[in-house]
Amino acid sequence: MSIWNSHFECMAKDELKQLQLERLQATLNRVYRSVAFYRKLFDRMGLVPDEINSLGELARIPFTSKTTLRASYPYEMFAVPLREVVRLQCTSGTTGEPIGVGYTRNDLAHWTEVSARVLCAGGVTKNDVVQICFDYSLFGGGLGFHYGAELIGASVIPGSNLDPARQVVIARDYRTTALIATPGFGIRLASAIREKGLSPADIHLKRGLFTGEPFSERTRKQIEDKLNIKATDNYGLSEIAWPGVAGECEKKKGLHIFEDQFIPEIIDPRSEKILPLGEEGELVLTTIAKEAFPLIRYRTGDITALDASPCECGRTLIRMKKIAGRTDEMVTINGVSFFPSQIEHIFSQIWGVEPHSSLVIDRRGDQDIVQILVKVSGEIFFDEMKKLQDLKSRVEREIYQDLGISVKVKLIEPDSFTRETEGKRVIDKRESN
Amino acid sequence: MSRENPEYLDRESLEELQLRRLKKVVDRVYHKVPFYGKAFRANKVKPENIKNLKDLERLPFTTREDLRAGYPYGFLASSLSRLVRLHTSTGTTGKPKAVLFTQKDIDQAAQLITRSMRMTGAGPEDVFQNMMSYGLFTGGLVFHYGAERAGALVIPSGTGNTERQIELMHDFKTTIVHTTPSYALYLAEVMERMGLDPRDDFNLRIAYLGAEPYSEATKSKIEEIFSLDAYDSYGLSEMNGPGVAFECKEKCGMHLWEDNFIMEVIDPENFEVRREGEVGELVLSTINREAMPILRYRTGDLTHICPDPCGCGRVHRRISRIKGRVDDMFILRGVNIFPSQVERILMSMPEVGRNYQIVLERRGGLDEMRVILEIKKRFFRGSLEDLKRLQNKIKAKLKGQLMVTPQVELVEPATLPRTTGKAKRLIDKRKI
Repeated sequence: MSIWNSHFECMAKDELKQLQLERLQATLNRVYRSVAFYRKLFDRMGLVPDEINSLGELARIPFTSKTTLRASYPYEMFAVPLREVVRLQCTSGTTGEPIGVGYTRNDLAHWTEVSARVLCAGGVTKNDVVQICFDYSLFGGGLGFHYGAELIGASVIPGSNLDPARQVVIARDYRTTALIATPGFGIRLASAIREKGLSPADIHLKRGLFTGEPFSERTRKQIEDKLNIKATDNYGLSEIAWPGVAGECEKKKGLHIFEDQFIPEIIDPRSEKILPLGEEGELVLTTIAKEAFPLIRYRTGDITALDASPCECGRTLIRMKKIAGRTDEMVTINGVSFFPSQIEHIFSQIWGVEPHSSLVIDRRGDQDIVQILVKVSGEIFFDEMKKLQDLKSRVEREIYQDLGISVKVKLIEPDSFTRETEGKRVIDKRESN
Repeated sequence: MSRENPEYLDRESLEELQLRRLKKVVDRVYHKVPFYGKAFRANKVKPENIKNLKDLERLPFTTREDLRAGYPYGFLASSLSRLVRLHTSTGTTGKPKAVLFTQKDIDQAAQLITRSMRMTGAGPEDVFQNMMSYGLFTGGLVFHYGAERAGALVIPSGTGNTERQIELMHDFKTTIVHTTPSYALYLAEVMERMGLDPRDDFNLRIAYLGAEPYSEATKSKIEEIFSLDAYDSYGLSEMNGPGVAFECKEKCGMHLWEDNFIMEVIDPENFEVRREGEVGELVLSTINREAMPILRYRTGDLTHICPDPCGCGRVHRRISRIKGRVDDMFILRGVNIFPSQVERILMSMPEVGRNYQIVLERRGGLDEMRVILEIKKRFFRGSLEDLKRLQNKIKAKLKGQLMVTPQVELVEPATLPRTTGKAKRLIDKRKI
């Protein structure tokens, strides 16, 4: 199995730690000098960047949250003047205010490099025909994968957001060998192949790299069987690098984090204490190679655990487990992300009051289905029922318009409500049935 | 090889470069692309017969149908493993056409965009928002690569999500947009709805317009609304996408980059090459493309080559804004007529409403054109006499410009059938 950059990916641990420390110090100095938010923060804490002399001391610095990034829009967090920025990407537009993320020319080169590492770890070589089924614009990961695949020298098909039926035809005609998509898209593609009267043997896919949605071992198995490919996981986030924070190698035993560019920590999301190695908690990332948009101890909201044991693939990089969930209950349905609070907000606007509700997510065939269970009092008169039905369809329509997802609202009586949901806000059945 | 910048070559050196590249391409496709091998033999021509640029006329044409038949890899002239990018061009009908790139092709396509952008005064200080669809459509990605090489800050916004795009345009002080003319007009509408002034609340200074036909009036309107300079851009996926021809600051036609393409304008009926200044179908040969060289491609676009030299000093000849598509043309008593010509004449008259129809009929062996048009309500109030006069006026005007005498029928507003989407303007009953 090949490794894209064995210098960094197989670096001896102590050498890597030294590199991390040097890059961390440079980053801290940079943000102290150029980002008002960090300067104020450091001054308040009495922190002098030059006094951070070991990686352990990183823990003295407070976290950076998504709320801070939102408040900094458009470019308060940029550490370089705008004229040095050559690319602007945005975080997904569906979950509230956007966050503009700038890249310098060096940042683009670093991002392209880690994207190539992800693809290479998943088995992509220059002989592959790579079809990228992520949106290519500002909000998507398409361009990131594209640049990485191009660096490897593969033939790239910018499939972007074409529907599965048309992607299948292109994959067949151009003899695509590697698929880049969300797990849900992988499953829909398998259905589209069947609907066209084709079988996986008519398509030349050998491997797939999946990200952007929950991706359990069960889903992996399903995709591998249905498409007859080898499927690997990878991880990134648009505030930092998407794709490109971590990628699974073909051993499929966790995702290697590119520690020469990012320092990972795992914390207890409530106490904010650093957890012992191997324990599950919230992933916190510090960028140490970024110029335009460096982030110190950024709380990703993603739950995982780290594994420092050596991997058979030869990479010395620490691994993270598959993402086990979100601290803020962010939900991703058919590729669209949102928070339950957004749905509750729409409810309270139409309904007048915020009802007791639960979100139930399930997968039927290849589609994610969302149901909102709403508790209504048992004593409703017949004419009130009619009114409720109207409200119900208004809520469904409004949610579709605002968030771009189809939901079904189901009115249920208090008894069955408790039985079915046990007071949970979100019940994700996609990975359990 | 000359190390001179091909953008500024003199005419003689440019044509030398063209001939050198043409000979190379002809030799390659003859040996590597079965379609051309066969077509050359059918035309009884061999690569060594190409001795000057005029000899190009001995070569066969390539049509859209040929490219469709060759999908996916039929026109590939390099090895599969050297391909780094695969696009398709779907068009409106059926089977797609393949658009294949080697790394050199990508670089070359990007370089033509960089050159075109610099020609209009764009550079590293600019914030460039690319409002074209990314993905399989070449318009987005190819322009993106060129803008990146020009050193601009690139916002790959794509299409849709208009309000968010406007926020970014405002917050990141976008100076250049690349968009279709219709989307530019829509943007202005949404800006106003958001309470923003397209001139005062934004930093826009340049718009690149392309990917759909539009009139000079539309372009002026866009310049006026946003207070910017709009430049025409021409390209087609079969020729690598955007960057085939581009307007310079003189704004008097688009310089077609003749170091990469050889252009001809032909009569779409008898295929004879037309002189400069005469309108016809644009035919392009790629002379600097590795993966998919195409000879004498019939673009289906109508234009003419501008005969006079450009004030900017570049010797790359210019084409006029695309006047229409060959497919839309009809022939009446030996005269080529485009519905767009009829439209332009009708729309220049204040009495004419929004809707019209052209009906072609055969009466006693003679082809007739009947133009049915809606007249604005206030002009319908007058006497029958007045209507008769108006009818004759329109008839005379059409005859004066089209060289055939049509029948003109005036109807009240909202008489003709309305369609959503593309209106059916032309009804040809002759073939039935």
